[in-house]
Amino acid sequence: MTFERPRTGFAGLLLAVLLGGALSLRAQDRDPADDAPVEVAPSLDELKLVAQQAAIPHLGGGNPFILRESTWSGTVEPGKTRLIQVQLFKRNDYHFWIAMPDRKAAVNLNLYNGKGELLEAKSLRYESPNIASLITSPTETGVYYLRISLQTTVGKAQPWTVIYAYR
Amino acid sequence: MVMNRSVLLPLIVLGFHAAVVAQDAPGRIDLNDPNLVMVESSAIPIPVEIFTSLDKLGTQDWSKHVVEREIRLDANRSRTAMLFGLVVSDGFIAVQAQDKEAVRRVGREVLRLASSLGVAGSVEQHANAIVNAAGQGQWPVVRKELDKTRQTVLNRMTEMRDDELVALVSLGGWLGGTQTLAAVLKQNYSVEGSDLLNQPDLVKQLKKDFNTLPARAKRGKVFNQVTQTLDHLESLMRADASGAISEGKVIEISLSTKNLVDSIYDI
Repeated sequence: MTFERPRTGFAGLLLAVLLGGALSLRAQDRDPADDAPVEVAPSLDELKLVAQQAAIPHLGGGNPFILRESTWSGTVEPGKTRLIQVQLFKRNDYHFWIAMPDRKAAVNLNLYNGKGELLEAKSLRYESPNIASLITSPTETGVYYLRISLQTTVGKAQPWTVIYAYR
Repeated sequence: MVMNRSVLLPLIVLGFHAAVVAQDAPGRIDLNDPNLVMVESSAIPIPVEIFTSLDKLGTQDWSKHVVEREIRLDANRSRTAMLFGLVVSDGFIAVQAQDKEAVRRVGREVLRLASSLGVAGSVEQHANAIVNAAGQGQWPVVRKELDKTRQTVLNRMTEMRDDELVALVSLGGWLGGTQTLAAVLKQNYSVEGSDLLNQPDLVKQLKKDFNTLPARAKRGKVFNQVTQTLDHLESLMRADASGAISEGKVIEISLSTKNLVDSIYDI
């Protein structure tokens, strides 16, 4: 199942990062009693922001990736996988990022070609396993499959968002 | 699905330290396995994504492919949605050509078409950014704003439950980019460059999306031509065993896409 939400621009991202920092500091100052469950629905925009934050270091410098506005979103259960079909073009490099809300959610990203064969790609890990990314340089133009797999490190299904960039 | 706010907030302020790691994944997957869960929505590549690859083969004269067309609107919102996609793709071509006036024109047309589709409020800021950035020759900003414009309109239409228009904007954008790509390759054919037209699965997806639209979204003779053209392109846009698309096929793709684009512009 997929769904889309209004997208947030880069200025919005920076603002949100700053806001996020401020909110986080305030959260640390709170009385522990205030940490009684505050259940909120995870916004896809928030997940997209987390993925975008992971992307930021790759969007500058001498050979930057160009971030697309398109995203994929959905939900995946622990121990299960999802496949995203993507059209990639030879001579370009592509970078995909995935984010899930629970910091214990260990997610993997892998890329397969149109025959279902696993391709070599550079996988990047971040400070917590709920964020992952993958860089690939396709040797042929055509359809590829991005495989999302969630390990059983969490008990609940996780919403996810994938963003990508090219150069 | 709910989450604890205290889990989410620290995520936002995380530092990201990347390292290359090995991952366990099957070496092969059966793509026909009925148990595979495929994400249905597709991200249509924007023209500049394809042009970036083409430019790596040598400098192209993009200015030859910037065209100024008169856009006459009618009451057919489906046609307007396709025109919107086409105009945004014209914007990407104008950026490749670094043609300030053409980009400004696209910015203005984008706003006019968005008004006709009832989404001007969401697009205005991006359209203005396109015009301003073009004036200053800030081409990466223009590219970004064009992509944002396109995505904003798609998102707004989804919110407004205009799902059929979403598919038509995507189709128009892809068609405009493909027409220009084929025209560039026709003028300067290379086996290496021709592989960029190898998109049979993408055409299949676009065709499927188009065919599932309700009849009310496909009123008008141009939409019969859409069906015929997509059928034709599906067989043409398939590489041979060497990974190339022949010059003859490139010429046919160019002609076929140009005819359809012309029909969409004509009332």
